[in-house]
Amino acid sequence: MIRRVTSSVFIVVAALLLAAAVRAEEPPMLAAEVAAGKLPPLAQRLPKTPLVVDVKRPDWSPGRYGGELRTLMAKDRDIRMMVVYGYARLVGYDEQLRLAPDILERIDNVGGRVFTLHLRAGHKWSDGHPFTAADFRYYWEDVANNKDLSPFSLPQALLVRGRGPNFEVLNDTTVRFTWQEPNPQFLTALAAPSPLYIFRPAHYMRQFHSRHIGLDKANAQARDAGSRNWAGLHAKKDDQYRFDNPDLPTLEPWVNTTPFPSIRFVLVRNPYFHRVDATGRQLPYIDRVIVNITDDKLIPAKTGAGDIDLQARYLRFDHYTFLKQGEKRKNYRVLLWEKALGSQMALYPNLSADDPQWRTLMRDLRFRRALSLAVNRHEINEVVYFGLAEESGNTVLQRSPLFRPEFRTAWTQFDLKAANALLNEIGLTKRDERGIRLLPDGRPMELIVDTSGESTEETDVLELLRDSWRKVGIALFSRPSQREVFRKRAYSGKSMMSIWSGLNNGIPTPAMSPHELAPTQQEQLQWPMWGQYYEQNKKGGEAPALPAAQELVKLYDAWRASEADEERERIWLRMLEIHAEQVFTIGIVTRALQPVVVHDSLHNVPAKGIYSWDPGSYFGMYHPDTFWIDPKAR
Amino acid sequence: MLRYIVQRVLLMIPTMIAISIIVFVIIQLPPGDYLESYIAELQAQGESVDPQKIAFLREHYGLDKPLVEQYLRWAGGMLVGDFGYSFEFNMPVNKVVGDRMFLTIIVSVVTIVFTWIVAFPIGIYSATHQYSWGDYGLSFLGFLGIAIPNFMLALVMLYLANVFFGTSIGGLMAPQYIDQPWSWGKVLSILEHSWVPVVVIGLSGTAGMIRRLRANLLDELQKQYVVTARAKGLPPRKVLYKYPLRMALNFFISDIGSLLPSIISGAEITAVVLSLPTTGPMLLSALRSQDMYLAGSFLMFLALLTVVGVLVSDLALVALDPRIRLSGGVAR
Repeated sequence: MIRRVTSSVFIVVAALLLAAAVRAEEPPMLAAEVAAGKLPPLAQRLPKTPLVVDVKRPDWSPGRYGGELRTLMAKDRDIRMMVVYGYARLVGYDEQLRLAPDILERIDNVGGRVFTLHLRAGHKWSDGHPFTAADFRYYWEDVANNKDLSPFSLPQALLVRGRGPNFEVLNDTTVRFTWQEPNPQFLTALAAPSPLYIFRPAHYMRQFHSRHIGLDKANAQARDAGSRNWAGLHAKKDDQYRFDNPDLPTLEPWVNTTPFPSIRFVLVRNPYFHRVDATGRQLPYIDRVIVNITDDKLIPAKTGAGDIDLQARYLRFDHYTFLKQGEKRKNYRVLLWEKALGSQMALYPNLSADDPQWRTLMRDLRFRRALSLAVNRHEINEVVYFGLAEESGNTVLQRSPLFRPEFRTAWTQFDLKAANALLNEIGLTKRDERGIRLLPDGRPMELIVDTSGESTEETDVLELLRDSWRKVGIALFSRPSQREVFRKRAYSGKSMMSIWSGLNNGIPTPAMSPHELAPTQQEQLQWPMWGQYYEQNKKGGEAPALPAAQELVKLYDAWRASEADEERERIWLRMLEIHAEQVFTIGIVTRALQPVVVHDSLHNVPAKGIYSWDPGSYFGMYHPDTFWIDPKAR
Repeated sequence: MLRYIVQRVLLMIPTMIAISIIVFVIIQLPPGDYLESYIAELQAQGESVDPQKIAFLREHYGLDKPLVEQYLRWAGGMLVGDFGYSFEFNMPVNKVVGDRMFLTIIVSVVTIVFTWIVAFPIGIYSATHQYSWGDYGLSFLGFLGIAIPNFMLALVMLYLANVFFGTSIGGLMAPQYIDQPWSWGKVLSILEHSWVPVVVIGLSGTAGMIRRLRANLLDELQKQYVVTARAKGLPPRKVLYKYPLRMALNFFISDIGSLLPSIISGAEITAVVLSLPTTGPMLLSALRSQDMYLAGSFLMFLALLTVVGVLVSDLALVALDPRIRLSGGVAR
């Protein structure tokens, strides 16, 4: 959590920095423009107190300016990944997963209710216009509370029990959000890879807003641009995450200069970026980022041909040996980062399945435990993951402060005897001539597992699983489909069981939201109906039928109202314990590896890292703005 | 003649309406809409979207309207040149397709010329030297060309081009020339990269054309008038070019109908494998993500070209072959 930092420390830091900034060199790419007077000198471009990025990693070195970073993406829309990698947020995670101010100079937090945000004086947008409290006011008054732009409600993270905050502008660099009750989601939403943007470049967006230029003019110019009304045009121009409007000022380290559609996006350094290295030199080190768009299936091949400097997206572990082959010839190295998923592959028994017989079974704790005990995790690990992953239930990873060994091992030992005993205890004792157990109505237990049909990994795992489940008298069949169909089937209760990756956030701290553990979203494949019930405020779906699930919802609500970290930790641990005991999802292996390919000329990419969406923003928390390119190694 | 053309053009209108309905319905057939497949895609990477935003987009894109209304708006818009809005790119369809069309036409035209230049001499040679070693050898190659799937050939060629010539994989030019103004270096780079797609896309077409030309020509060469011409002492070349070859070309003219749309669509699957900046991959991804106006308008454009192409080839056949009459089907 962010603590109050005394202002005296800041004054000292500021003084030191100011001294450093005066001496610091201009990035060579900008020197000519500065000399020609087209761009103000460095001292005027940086905020009064820039953020000092001082990475304490043994293999980290201060960089040199220049160069182009090449990477590959599969679609135009993927350009948003550069906002994820750039990771300029009001507050953000560092490598130890602590939240720290980034764009903000500091943030005061009173009881999780009152957040006072202090901006950096002199901070500027990428076009040189000052970034001030007015940009927050524009968001609050003209976007979030505008009937045309936000017809439904405020974003979820701003709502506590359906009520929004009170917003005040204290002065040019200070704004305050006040809730009646604690809002623990607020800071994590600001630090997310796809963050909650509570500010807008007001000076730019005004030209599209009906309140600022008049309704008729706004609508007329929207129609000329091919939009239905001014709200449409405003929303289109305004997406800071989508990154598709080169004219929209940004605070990210690199600015996109290429409009959609293109097959090659060029991003250039933001001359007003607010971070500096320890010697006061402005970041980023790298001048340009080139994103080439190519078919996703071609990306491993192009990576292996040495066409990139940094690539992880669209690479999978099964590409590892191929990528490794080209290492010497094409001058790159293949790193293996740890994925932060709770489980690489997990089985989701559908607790709201249509078929009443199966539904009863899935809701029977003994049945879920028996299924989990009949999974030969060791074999799957050896065969599919070369023994490099770790056998585990679907829970948090060792790296998380919430990790407890018993969560990982609960009901995960391979024990056919115990599994058979549990199934007999339920009363599934009759078998057909093949040895398959019979359901109470006499049908053989043929369990169909839905897969999204996206990788052979799922089917490989299921193939191995089939053999061991056969030994407890359950026949397994896999049904590959296509992603949307896969989800639809689970939502509507048509599928009995699905296979998908486990918890998205396997490295949580108590401050992060435990929503994944409670039935809160339709997309949760083990209880889509119950999730829908929560999502739609009891208007849709079904109420959770199991006491354990009801307790999870209560605990989640308690977390949302919690004030202190100790309380949150207690809630988290209880939720994880329920999950381990109740086996709502059957985890198989965890800590699978993600290949990261780095060109030999690119420095400061950590050799070991976590490849995590949230928290982490993939490369974001490792500061790509401090990556640098050695021209001699090109 | 004029009456015939007018009748054919009028007939196109119901055809196009029928096609537009079929196109629209088929794109809508898979469950969900663009926003749902968009959400599913984001979720696969662990991302999530605020439900408020999705609700806003659904309303803004008109996806909350009944299907009939969506169809009428799209079809009505096309009449006045408005092809709708691409959700994926967040801009009007015209703007999305525009840039890619030019490169697609270049690749297609070069491919077609390649096909003709290779297929014609070989076809004629095979027919006139039937059952010679040359005929056997070339026919064998031709069958190989028909038998090997394009995408597989593309992968093999990409690999070889990269290993032996150091050509970057996929694409139509070296990355540094993309979106740059035209220069000599860019032209050279396109030439360096374009031979792979041209050969890959052209190969099966070439092989097919060789076989058809050979077969048609062989038919003609057996006929009496050829024997008569030879008997009268006409020089062999003239015997060949003046009559039998002309007769054998009918299939070639009727191919124009399918040629026109293929110039624009640019061999979708091969283009995806080769990662060409043509319209093919765009159409495919639009269909996959249910970006319905982009996919739909594009398919309509292809359909229009097909219908026009068939008309043109019919008229050309009449002009070329006096044995063909207009009266047949229309007079009824």
